[in-house]
Amino acid sequence: MTSRSRPARVALGTLAAAACVAVWPPAGVQAARPATIYNTSPPSVIRVAIRGLNPDGESDPRGRILWVQTVPYDEYCEDVLPNEWMPSWHPEALKAGAMAVKMFAWFHHLHPVTIDGFTFDVDNTVNFQSFRYYSRQPETTRAVQAVRPYAYVRPNGEIVELNYRAGYRNSPNWQYRNAQKMAQWGSQYWAERGRNYVQILQFYYMDRALRPIR
Amino acid sequence: MSAPKTAVMRIACGLAACGLGWAACALPDSSNFNRPHAKPYSQDRAHHHGILVDDRTGRLAARLSGTGTVAQAAPASPNAAQPAPQPPTAGDRTRVLPYPTARVRVRVIDGRTMQPLSGAEVVLIETEERHTTGADGWTTWFRAPVIRNPRYRPMVAELHGQLGVIAYKNGYRDSIHLGIRMHEGYDTETTVWMYKLGPGDTRIEPVLYQVPYHHIWLVELADKFRSKTQPGEGPERP
Repeated sequence: MTSRSRPARVALGTLAAAACVAVWPPAGVQAARPATIYNTSPPSVIRVAIRGLNPDGESDPRGRILWVQTVPYDEYCEDVLPNEWMPSWHPEALKAGAMAVKMFAWFHHLHPVTIDGFTFDVDNTVNFQSFRYYSRQPETTRAVQAVRPYAYVRPNGEIVELNYRAGYRNSPNWQYRNAQKMAQWGSQYWAERGRNYVQILQFYYMDRALRPIR
Repeated sequence: MSAPKTAVMRIACGLAACGLGWAACALPDSSNFNRPHAKPYSQDRAHHHGILVDDRTGRLAARLSGTGTVAQAAPASPNAAQPAPQPPTAGDRTRVLPYPTARVRVRVIDGRTMQPLSGAEVVLIETEERHTTGADGWTTWFRAPVIRNPRYRPMVAELHGQLGVIAYKNGYRDSIHLGIRMHEGYDTETTVWMYKLGPGDTRIEPVLYQVPYHHIWLVELADKFRSKTQPGEGPERP
């Protein structure tokens, strides 16, 4: 390499880099852009890590990851809801649950993790959401289908995790609202008192909105 | 994903636990079947539990009040001609069970290929009813009792009843499927996984799958008996 050609190459390189910046933003900037329902589509499948069983035959949240199963997204939601909500609960409570299950899974599909060499979106235990293959029930499947055309997101469409916990029976579970988590028992409490699923979601999650999915 | 099934020795335990209430107060009294003047089995048991079951719909028809009078759906006249009591047969025991009922249907699939298995025989343990799966692997809808484990007081009553089925099919291991979650008045579907016998199978035993308790109930149960001196993980919190 000669000394005369070096500045010219540097200048060319700088120009090329500038062109790259103009056309393709750096990776860091792109990653910081929030995923919204307008720039992402609902997942078609989700990767579920299957954990080993505890002695009682139930998947252990601290069990070894056995394999990663790819499951159609809708089927995943249908096979989670009856294990998280009670199928005999009010239909509006089930719809609120269906929306939380769906948006929780969608968020984690966008933020996969790698543990013990396995890359996955969620596992099949309460680390994420309880999932049992073919455990779907007619009532809960109806709730999943009822909320399928919608997403519950930030007003700008940003997809955020809708988290939830069991909560306490016969209580509005205000403390869960303060923590921005839905109480599962609370959803039943409000549904029994005439609130629909959007009102239940509005009670527990602030600054969110129901949006149709394209 | 459903837990992989393993042949275990817990089958007897599970059956015993599942059938505890059954044995205690609800086993059909076969001696009554041979006594035409005996009080009908259904009346006896239903009165004992304060519950009447509508024979046509299988749903609760009325609940007896504390004095033993019928709150609703009372008979028109005590002198009205009563049909002679007929002993229930194995096929219609759900009509006379002292429990509320719900519809259920069972799907049987090959656990390895995930394909539906037709012609498998499914026996509902609690009622001894037998059903056969169709081409799509499903049985028809049938009514089944919603039995909550009587070991637990009402304060900690289970949120769902439990049932057990056994699936048989030639060339496959028997599959025992316990703890099917049942809810009064709500349809239930369940899937039984069966495993084909192969040349390497020397010790052939039934396969058990136990549906776990719903964790909503487990959380509630643990919180109910938590003490302040030994709170363990502490109450559930957001």
